Amino acid sequence: MKLPPVLQEFSGGVETLEVEGTTVNECLEELEARFPGMRQSLLDRQGKLLRAFGIYLNSGGLRPVELASPVADGDEIVILNFLMGG
Amino acid sequence: MSSYNGRLIRLDLTNRRSRVEGIPERRMKEYLGGRGVGVSYLYDELKPGVEPLSADNKVILMMGPLGATQAMSVSRMALVTKSPMTGAIAKSVMGGNFGAYLKFAGYDGIIVEGEADKPVYVHIDKDGIKILDAAGLWGLDTQQTHEKLRQMHGKATQVACIGPAGERLVRYALLISNLRCGGRTGVGTVLGAKKLKAFAVNSAGPLSLYDAEGFRKVNKEVIEGLKTSPGRIRMSDFGTSYLTLGFEKVGIFPVKNFQEGHLEGVEKISEEALVSIKTKNDGCYGCMTKCGQVRKVSGGSYDGATSEGPDYETIWSLGGNLANTDKDSLIAADSLCDRLGLDTVSAGNSIGFAYELYQRGIITKKDTDGLELNWGDHAAMMKLLEKIGNREGFGQLLGEGTKRAAAKIGKGAEDYAIQVKGLELPAYEPRAVKGYGLVLATSNIGASHMYGRPRDELSGKKDRLTEVDKGKDIAQAEISQATQDSVIQCSFGPVTGFSPQQRSDLLVAATGFKEFADPAYIEKVGERTLCLERCFNVREGFDRKDDTLPKRMRTEPLKDAGPATGQVFKNLDGLLDEFYDALGYTRQGIPSEAKLKELGLGGVVKDVKKYSK
Repeated sequence: MKLPPVLQEFSGGVETLEVEGTTVNECLEELEARFPGMRQSLLDRQGKLLRAFGIYLNSGGLRPVELASPVADGDEIVILNFLMGG
Repeated sequence: MSSYNGRLIRLDLTNRRSRVEGIPERRMKEYLGGRGVGVSYLYDELKPGVEPLSADNKVILMMGPLGATQAMSVSRMALVTKSPMTGAIAKSVMGGNFGAYLKFAGYDGIIVEGEADKPVYVHIDKDGIKILDAAGLWGLDTQQTHEKLRQMHGKATQVACIGPAGERLVRYALLISNLRCGGRTGVGTVLGAKKLKAFAVNSAGPLSLYDAEGFRKVNKEVIEGLKTSPGRIRMSDFGTSYLTLGFEKVGIFPVKNFQEGHLEGVEKISEEALVSIKTKNDGCYGCMTKCGQVRKVSGGSYDGATSEGPDYETIWSLGGNLANTDKDSLIAADSLCDRLGLDTVSAGNSIGFAYELYQRGIITKKDTDGLELNWGDHAAMMKLLEKIGNREGFGQLLGEGTKRAAAKIGKGAEDYAIQVKGLELPAYEPRAVKGYGLVLATSNIGASHMYGRPRDELSGKKDRLTEVDKGKDIAQAEISQATQDSVIQCSFGPVTGFSPQQRSDLLVAATGFKEFADPAYIEKVGERTLCLERCFNVREGFDRKDDTLPKRMRTEPLKDAGPATGQVFKNLDGLLDEFYDALGYTRQGIPSEAKLKELGLGGVVKDVKKYSK
C-alpha cells in the first residue's frame, strides 16, 4: 500500500508498506491496528470514505475503488489525497 | 506569427471613443499577460489617490499568451482595477469563453477609461468597436442581458456583463459571463460607476501560433497525461464541492461567521448531496475537465432553481457560514447572486456578520426591516440577498461590505466584521491553517483565497498549526499564483496538467519569445507582478499595519474545530517578518530598493521612496 504524506505522519514517515486483507477495508483495518488513527483520518463523520481521498488499485481505472472492493495477492493499493484547496 | 495579437482596445467612455493600440513587446516579455500586464498598465496610468468609483479609475481586461489556444484551461481573463472595497489594487481572474473570443477578434485586452453620461455597452466584431446605448439593458439581470444581447447580435455572441448589483454600486459586484464570475473586490461596481453594462463580441478563430507543430506536440503530451489524471476526474465529477467534508473535519471550514468549526448536518450540503441533483458539467473554453456542476432543484420551496455551482466557496459562504444546511437554498441563492451580479463570498460574509450582530443584540428587527436573523434561516438569507442586490433598506448597508457597515453601526460591530483591508475572508479558517492566514493577511487585494495556496498545509503534508517557518513557503505560493494569473492558467493544478517546463515549451511555441524557455524566467514574472502590486499599494498608503487578521483570529480560541480546537493566531508578527525577508521587503512591508532593481523595477524606486514612510 502506498500512503500520501498526510498518512505517513501515522506510519513514522514510511510511504510504502505491505498489508493483508481480502478487501480494501480489511487492509485499512489492519493499518489501523498498526497505526491507530490512520483509518479514521480517511473517513467522514458517518464513517464513509472522504472524497478528498481516493483509493486506487494497481494504478488502473480513472475512478477510485470502494472500501468493499476485493483485493488479491500482490495488488498495489494507492491512496491519493485531493485536499488541496478550491 | 504569435499567439499574442499585440494590441488592445482603449475605451474612452466619457467621449464615447475607442481606439486600438499596440502592446509594447517589452511589456509582454516582462509581464507575460493577464494579471501581470494588467497591473503594469494600471501602475503606469493611475495616479495615486484616485477615487475608485470616479471617472479617473480604469478597468483592465487582459488575456494571456496561451489564451484561445488549444492548451488546457488557459483561456481565462484577468480583471484589474483599483478596488472600491479596499482602495488597493484589485485583481481577479474569470473563466468562461468571453476572453477567448476577444482574442479571436484580434485583441489581447481592453482598457476602460472615463465614465459614460448614460448606460452603454460595447460591441466588438469584424467591422470594429462600437460603444452603443444600453438603455434597453440597464436594469436587466445578467441572464436577461445575455439573452437580449444574443437576440440583437446573434446566438453566438459572447457576453460579459454586470447585473443590477453593479448598476446600483453594491461594493462587491462582479462581471458575469454565462455562469462564470470574475471581479471579487468590486470590479463590477467600478464598471457600474462608469455606466458600462456589457461587453459583447462576435468573432471566429483560430489564432496564429509561432510554431504550431511544436505547440501541438507538447500539448498532446499534456492532454495524454490529463486523460488518466485521477485529480482531474475528481474535479470533473464533483467540482470543488468534495472539499467541504474534508475541511470541516479538520476545522478549516468556518461556521457562524468564524465563531466555530463544526457544522451540524454538514453532510446535507456535501458533494454526495449535491451530485444527486447535478444535471451536467459546464466549463471554460478549451478545458476537457469542465469542473462546473450544473444542478437543478426539483420540488420544495426552490423548485426549478438552477445554477452552475455552488462551488466550495459558496457552499461555505451561503451555507456553513450561516449554519445553513439546506442544499436547495444554496442552488437558489447561488443563482440569485449570479443574476444580480453579486460576489457570493462577500455577500455571505455580510449576511453572516448581520446574523452575528443579531445574535448578540447589537442590531434588532428595527434595523433589519423587520427580519429575524437566526442561524440556519435560509429564507431570511434569500431576502437579504435581494435587498443587497437591489440596495433596498437594510441591504443598502450590507452592500457596503462588513468594514464600512460596521463603522456605521458602531456598538462594537467592528469586532465581528471578518475582513482584511476591507475584503471579507474566504472559506478558510486562519486559526486552523496558519499558512493560509498569512496569505490572507499579506494579500495585496485583501482576504482572497486566490492569492496563493499553501497546498502542503491544506493537504496535511505540512503542519497546519505551527506559526514558524512558513514565510518562505507563503511567499513562494503568492509568487506562483501571480505567475499562473499572468500565463493565465487555471489555479487547479490537476485541470491544466502541465509541468513548469511544459508550460515554458508551450509559451515559446505559441509566442516565439525565447526568453520564455526558462521556467525560472516565467516564475520571475510572478514575483515582479506581486512586487509591483505591493508598490501600487505603497503609493496608496498601505504598509505592514494593513497586513493583519481580524481581531477574532488573534484573540479568540477557535471552538469545536477538531484538531484545531483552541487555536489562536499568536505569531502573525513573526510570520510577517519571515514573509517580508523572503521577498526582499523591509520589515515595514515595503519592497527594498535592491529587490526592485533585481526585478527590473528600478523605475518605481522613486515612487516607493516618496510614498513610504
